[in-house]
Amino acid sequence: MLIDSFPLLTVLLLFITASIMPLLKKSNLVKGICIISFIVSFVMYLATLNRVLKTGDYFYRVGHFNAPFGIEFHVGTVECIMGILFTFVAIMVIWNSIYNIHFDIREDKIPLYYLLVNILIASLLGIVFSNDMFNVFVFIEIGNLASCGIVVVKDKKENIKAGMKYLIMSCLGSGLVLMGIAFLYSITGHLNMTYIHNELVKNYIHYPRTILITLGLFTVGLGVKSAMFPLHTWLPDAHSNAPTTSSAILSSLVLKGYILFLIKVLYRVFGIEIIRNFPILNIILVLGCLGMILGSIFAIFQKNLKRVIAYSTVAQMGYIFFAIGLGTELGIIMSIFHIIGHAVTKAALFLCTGAIIQGTGHKNLDELKGVGKEMPYTLGLFFIASLSMIGIPLLPGFVSKWYLALGSIEANKTLLIAVILASSLLNAVYYFPVSINGFFGEENLRGKIYKSKSKSLKELLPIIILVIAMIYIGIDSQSIINLIKTGLV
Amino acid sequence: MKNLLIILPILFPFLAAITIAVAKFQEKKRNVFAAVSVILNLVFVVYLSHHMPGGKLHLLKINEFLDIYFKIDKLSIFFSSLVSILWVFTTIYSMEYMKHEGKEDRFFSYFIATLGITLGIAFSGNLITLYLFYEFLTLATFPLVIHSGSKEALESGKKYLIYSFGGATLVLFGMIILFSLTNNLTFVPKGILNNVSDSNIYLISLSYLVMFIGFGVKAALVPFHAWLPQAMVAPTPVSSLLHAVAVVKSGAFALIRITYYIFGAEVIRKTHSAGYLTVLIVISILMGSFLALHQENLKKRLAYSTISQLGYILLGIILLNESSLVGGMLHLINHAVIKITLFFCTGAIMYTTGKTEIGQIAGIGRQMPITMWCFTISSISLIGIPPTNGFVSKWNLALGGLIDGKAVFPAILLLSALLTAMYLLPVITEAFFKKGDNVILLKKEAPKKMVIPIVCITMITVLLGLFPNPILVFVREIANELI
Repeated sequence: MLIDSFPLLTVLLLFITASIMPLLKKSNLVKGICIISFIVSFVMYLATLNRVLKTGDYFYRVGHFNAPFGIEFHVGTVECIMGILFTFVAIMVIWNSIYNIHFDIREDKIPLYYLLVNILIASLLGIVFSNDMFNVFVFIEIGNLASCGIVVVKDKKENIKAGMKYLIMSCLGSGLVLMGIAFLYSITGHLNMTYIHNELVKNYIHYPRTILITLGLFTVGLGVKSAMFPLHTWLPDAHSNAPTTSSAILSSLVLKGYILFLIKVLYRVFGIEIIRNFPILNIILVLGCLGMILGSIFAIFQKNLKRVIAYSTVAQMGYIFFAIGLGTELGIIMSIFHIIGHAVTKAALFLCTGAIIQGTGHKNLDELKGVGKEMPYTLGLFFIASLSMIGIPLLPGFVSKWYLALGSIEANKTLLIAVILASSLLNAVYYFPVSINGFFGEENLRGKIYKSKSKSLKELLPIIILVIAMIYIGIDSQSIINLIKTGLV
Repeated sequence: MKNLLIILPILFPFLAAITIAVAKFQEKKRNVFAAVSVILNLVFVVYLSHHMPGGKLHLLKINEFLDIYFKIDKLSIFFSSLVSILWVFTTIYSMEYMKHEGKEDRFFSYFIATLGITLGIAFSGNLITLYLFYEFLTLATFPLVIHSGSKEALESGKKYLIYSFGGATLVLFGMIILFSLTNNLTFVPKGILNNVSDSNIYLISLSYLVMFIGFGVKAALVPFHAWLPQAMVAPTPVSSLLHAVAVVKSGAFALIRITYYIFGAEVIRKTHSAGYLTVLIVISILMGSFLALHQENLKKRLAYSTISQLGYILLGIILLNESSLVGGMLHLINHAVIKITLFFCTGAIMYTTGKTEIGQIAGIGRQMPITMWCFTISSISLIGIPPTNGFVSKWNLALGGLIDGKAVFPAILLLSALLTAMYLLPVITEAFFKKGDNVILLKKEAPKKMVIPIVCITMITVLLGLFPNPILVFVREIANELI
């Protein structure tokens, strides 16, 4: 059936449209092509999800070669949800960028920029769907270069610096992943995940050290790329200096692709039976806790709004590592749910921040006092999104925290609830002052003219849709969680 | 479908608030609109209490815990009527008072929205709904606290937020532990923990302690009280209503809910957690009174007095017998009407003369006799001299203490009453018997819109003292169900 090949088609579609872009001179045409390619992919994923829910998971053979020799795509519920999420957020971010990309990037570089965006998202989707380790590695490398590209495209000194830092750290990460793949290949003689898993189950007892090293390589390698706590140092620079569109994509999507691959490696390639013999999950759990607390503490001391949000990403990634580290079914479900919730929320936050910085010309928190009077709607949306981060009931942040807490009780680690709650309190400490200083305070508001820098509804629409999607994710969390659950079994 | 009416008194204030914020009425029209919407809301509450006691509504059931559920029972009728009635008076009072504070539109929209949220707390049928509205309460009252927008106000607003969210986080902690044990957070008289095995008693105890302290933050339990005196920078109607009625009483109300509708007196007795809490509460009662003695600023003195009086209510809740619970709930009403009068009088003095310190008000009794007489009556009621309402509630509290066989509680109550007299009576003597420096004996009361609410509430106070029985019977019925 044609629907079966949709996941591959979307990846190809995004790559092919990307290659057309530099040939076109008009930037409007490029923007149009870019957004249309994502809308088409989005619709295709909806169709695929529908198909998967009806008939179940399937393996798609690329080029009709059978598995150990050819490349396979594994198409399951979780993969489809991720595809929908990635393309949805990408559509909104790109829609938003149409109005204001020219503030960040020179006109002649716009086609190049959208080319990079398309390649980046395509490679992420490749990572999500591919069932072949080496294939994933190739996508990781492509994504690596593209994501560094969208950081440095702004062409300023600090961008290049941040981009270099990102590139070095990221390449280091890919190198470790490649070594991990090599180790696995040397033990099992396969690159296909399913085959590796079958081989490993048979003879993992003979290679305890090799497997331990491999697990370490994957965790550190992917940890660098998805900002696991002590390896996050590149993130604040890269995310805060990049153009708004890039920050939103990097923070809400790129990190998620790598972390999803880590989940796949741990639970599909190795399997819970094997990793339970190694301390790896506990290490991830501890690092997740550290990230949750320290990421928030670093965020409190930042003066630049974008850096605050970047450090908040470190903390939120901590939640996902925490969930993975619990090692229970609920833990995996919640890590995926948090990926979804955080992707939508963080995209909305970054777009609001971008609009605020662009509207006022200020980046620092001190200078942004009173912005609520000038841009009430934008800051209002920012406030709603930050409520989710803080964990007000009904919003996705609360749902994640609640289930994570229940999960830690279930795993007999009741004390960890304190970590979750402390982190959510810390979130409040740095998110509230932004809105409070923006909306209230006599001294701040003096001389500011009401709605003077307000954006038009047209420009706010993508952010509004993201916020609505976020509220929907919170309210309909039960069915999303059930959907993820069916995908895991 | 009829049950959908329950959300009317919760939703209507929000709509009214949005209308005020958006419509940009003229002053007079806005005042009329605000008054009408508050009174209309009172009518809704009365209608609901009469026509559908026991009404239930699952507004939004997402899963077993995220379940927005409203229920009308006697306790919610009790609290919602108190709140709605006092809100009407405060609205009328603020119309005049807020003139010199400015930004009235903003004030009235948040103020009326807070009414909806407080009623949401009153009608919550399970803990998660209560928690949700509890968080909203913090968010909606925050702009009221920092109304003046000065640096000092923002500072205290920050403190208020940190304390409140800290408390809410503790509540969440307790809630998660509880949910993992019971899978249920609905309010049921006598609690939901009957089937939980004794092996979990440690967890239950932890959960209760954490939640009590969490809600206790809003009820100004020492050592988590520091936000309350600081929040006095807010305009007087806000201080009076929010810090004598809505916010702190929501904390106390939530404590009644968790103590008797979630855990149940039996289980709490088993956990022995009440002992630790009693110590904190006794400290609150005494420390509040002692600190009040040292305050020169009238509003601050009243704020510390609130801390002490709230301790009475919490004591009534934690002693776990019928008489003390009756006393606690009566004091919840009595303290509300008394403290609101005291604050209104202080506000009236501030508004007409600009005086805020006790040293400045010498001779003001001759200048503003009605206001100061109301102040005097309320003070006497708060001290608890018979036949005032303060006496009725303290009597029941003392009885409850004696049932437990502990004479120490009545002794503490008496000591605290003495201290109350010591910090309130000097205000009265100063006002009536001392001559001011500049002898202006012209009568100059506050405007009518401020005096009328003061007089009305004072009359309610007196009536509650003279005829306590209707309320007493009602409160006894509630208590009977619970113990």
